[in-house]
Amino acid sequence: MSHIHYRYLLPALLALTGCASFDIDQSTQKLNQQYPAYTQGKLALASKPEQQKNMQDQAASLLAQPLSQDAAVQLALLNSPALQAMLAQHQAAGASAAQSARITNPLFTFERNRQSGELELGRLLSFGLLDLLSLPQRQTMAQHSLAQAQTQLSLDVIASVSQVRVAWVKAVAAQQSLEYARQVGDAADASAILAERMHKAGNFNSLQAARQLAFKADAMAQLSFARHASLATREELVRLLGLNDEQEKTLKLPERLPDLPATPLAAESMGPQATKNRLDIQLAKQELDAAAARQGLSLVSSFTDIELGIRRDTNFDAAGHGEIKRGVEVSLRLPLFDWGDAQRTAMNANTLGASYRLQATLNNAGSHLRVSYSAYRNMYDIARQYRDEILPLRKRISAENQLRYNGMFISVFELLADSREQINSVLAAINAEQQFWLADAALQAELLGRPSASNLNPVKSTATAEAAH
Amino acid sequence: MSTRRDFFKLASIAGGALAASTVSKVALAALPDAVTQTSPDTMPPLQPKTGRPYNPVVTLNGWTLPWRMNNGVKEFHLVAEPVVREMAPGMKAHLWGYNGQSPGPTIEVVEGDRVRIFVTNRLPEHTSVHWHGQRLPNGMDGVSGLTQPSIQPGKTFVYEFVARRPGTFMYHPHADEMTQMAMGMMGSWVTHPKNKHPQIDDVDRDFIFLLSSYDIEPGAFKPNIMTMTDFNLWTWNSRVFPGIDTLNVRKNDRVRIRVGNLTMTNHPIHIHGHEFTVTGTDGGPVPRTARWPEVTTDIAVGQMRQVEFVADEEGDWSFHCHKSHHTMNAMGHNVPSMIGVDHKEVADKINKLIPAYMTMGDKGMADMGTMEMPLPDNTLPMMTGEGPFGGLEMGGMFSVVKVRKDQKPGDYKDPGWFRHPKGTVAFEYAGPVADAPRQPAQPVDAHAGMKHGTHSAPEVEVQVRKPQAHSRH
Repeated sequence: MSHIHYRYLLPALLALTGCASFDIDQSTQKLNQQYPAYTQGKLALASKPEQQKNMQDQAASLLAQPLSQDAAVQLALLNSPALQAMLAQHQAAGASAAQSARITNPLFTFERNRQSGELELGRLLSFGLLDLLSLPQRQTMAQHSLAQAQTQLSLDVIASVSQVRVAWVKAVAAQQSLEYARQVGDAADASAILAERMHKAGNFNSLQAARQLAFKADAMAQLSFARHASLATREELVRLLGLNDEQEKTLKLPERLPDLPATPLAAESMGPQATKNRLDIQLAKQELDAAAARQGLSLVSSFTDIELGIRRDTNFDAAGHGEIKRGVEVSLRLPLFDWGDAQRTAMNANTLGASYRLQATLNNAGSHLRVSYSAYRNMYDIARQYRDEILPLRKRISAENQLRYNGMFISVFELLADSREQINSVLAAINAEQQFWLADAALQAELLGRPSASNLNPVKSTATAEAAH
Repeated sequence: MSTRRDFFKLASIAGGALAASTVSKVALAALPDAVTQTSPDTMPPLQPKTGRPYNPVVTLNGWTLPWRMNNGVKEFHLVAEPVVREMAPGMKAHLWGYNGQSPGPTIEVVEGDRVRIFVTNRLPEHTSVHWHGQRLPNGMDGVSGLTQPSIQPGKTFVYEFVARRPGTFMYHPHADEMTQMAMGMMGSWVTHPKNKHPQIDDVDRDFIFLLSSYDIEPGAFKPNIMTMTDFNLWTWNSRVFPGIDTLNVRKNDRVRIRVGNLTMTNHPIHIHGHEFTVTGTDGGPVPRTARWPEVTTDIAVGQMRQVEFVADEEGDWSFHCHKSHHTMNAMGHNVPSMIGVDHKEVADKINKLIPAYMTMGDKGMADMGTMEMPLPDNTLPMMTGEGPFGGLEMGGMFSVVKVRKDQKPGDYKDPGWFRHPKGTVAFEYAGPVADAPRQPAQPVDAHAGMKHGTHSAPEVEVQVRKPQAHSRH
């Protein structure tokens, strides 16, 4: 081997290794473009102080007015330290993946031996030859890893955003329900005051008065529960938005949930096409590809290991006259005890497993989507039923009861009991609307392949059994 | 009054089209006209043009059924059918009746008349007619199952008998009776004496009506036939105040009023300003020696009373059932009294939830008569009616006997409100009011009187609060 070869080998190797790297900003930008509905272009890891300052300012302006659902998502992306931590974590994972595509640094060995006046200096620069030979494959694998990391990041961001949406829906609904629970309390309170006066005036006996007082006590218990639910759901949102105590004080939620969409998403739009781009399927595919690529590489590496060394030794005789010796050295691990078959079996099994996992993911995606769409569609129908039929009917019942009160066919107590019932229907309607928006958030996440175990509660029906007598 | 020569035209009115197609044309050709009535007003007396002469009655908010003479037999045609009865302006009830109205037309005959009554059934179910109080062959008594097969929908039956004794009677179904009476099927019957009768006086005015009761949910229009006693509309001839016509008479007229009770309870019928005597029942004339003067006569369930008086006091005289709940229209029977419960500030609280809410009943129920608030459709206020001096606060079984010296004989027109001679109307006292003398409080002797047992419960403190404090002047 000539000199020239050695001289150019090192730079060439260095050139080869420089290409695999991971940039979190590119990653987040890609996500911002791919999922604008989720990130609203706001996903970014704030690593510099001025960047952090800018994001804090934006957060403050979002907090200045009642927080819509989209604003809540933006706020979480800008403000949540937990979310930033997640991004940082991803940066770390990405960098590690990039690392795997690089060649192990060459090993330089230096020897100095002296024997009866003779001095021997040995220099050996050695490279893992297999490392070098497998570089293209390892780079492919690194690409796989990076793509997987990107997909995982997408999934995690979508999960976080979904959580924020769900928490926002729950907090707004709970706050809205609290308002109506107060009204139920007011109606029960009025009944109780009247009943006590009726008792004092001699028109009610103790039993009749106690009944009205019991309504009040019950309503007050419900009110306390609603008060806690409102606070607890709000605090959950506060945590997901990553608000500090000062920010928490300025957080204002809108008075009511958004209106139902005029038309629900059509069942046809939920076909196989909808599941094609699901992230869980992508991830499973990527896992399979990676496993396959790893398998190709392992075929060699499981078998042996080759190392290439460049040697330049200098011998000085007693007179100090030196003689240089050059050469190359190849070391080969002899596959005497381990022919790598166990390792290859493991790799094969991994690839096989990954292919089955992909199949399972594909199968499950359709099923999960059907469930999510059913929840979405039925919650929509129920919420619309409340809005278009049940509430107008309750209104009509109240109007008719008012007429009956006018004619002294019923008493003020029945009128108040009816108003409590009407308010309870409104509460049920709010619950139905909340269920719809939760199902909507779940379906949106589902379409992107982030199945969320959304717990939909049955909407409580308000029977008229509670009427006061 | 409208006569419909073509019986088939009947099929198109009052919703009874069901049965018409099943009535044979040949059978109908032999029938007297089915005369029908669409107005709920009091019709003038029907002067007899054929048959024996008599002095006709006036049916309060009703009419008398015309007849035809057929070989010396008085023939009537009753058509049992669904009807719409205006119970008072603003409220129409879907009832069952005869010839367009509930109650059906009054049948007037003379003692000794041979009477043939064709009864056509245009109801959705079978019926029969029982001639309450009549002496007749058993098979003409109209009890379905017992004395005859029931009249099926679309069929016409004939009843024929001699009106043997003079008096005041009724007719009503005796098939699915509870339903059909609760739906308003009934009518009056008068048999006038053929000759001068020692126990029956000639009168100048002769009124007749039936008491009936209905349970119609406020806002609905058909009676609940399942109701046993808790009726909410107490009617005279299926009319309620202010829908009941006044009884207009000339001063010094001898007036007879015949009342039959087909409700589920008794009714003490009471007149103001006069005394009357009960001169007859559905059993016949009361012997003169057995009559005594009264201002109220109780008419038990299924009974008829015939009262007479000389209307010698001019004015507008109340005439009503003395059960005060029966002088109310539909009202809540389970509504608690609010008297003495001031709740103005609670009302503010309630108004926030129920904006149209108004406090009522804390001083009594008179608010109801004065406040004009929207009610359910097809419903009358429970207390209503305006008189010359203000609200009458009445409903149900209430009317007015109007005695006027310038009312012409035979004229039944409403003369309007009475013009009181000067100084004959109660007026507000404007002078000083002295303390009312009171019984001084006596210490209670614990040993006197009956003992209430050994357990002594603490007394309930009852305070009487009066709205005015004149006694402290």
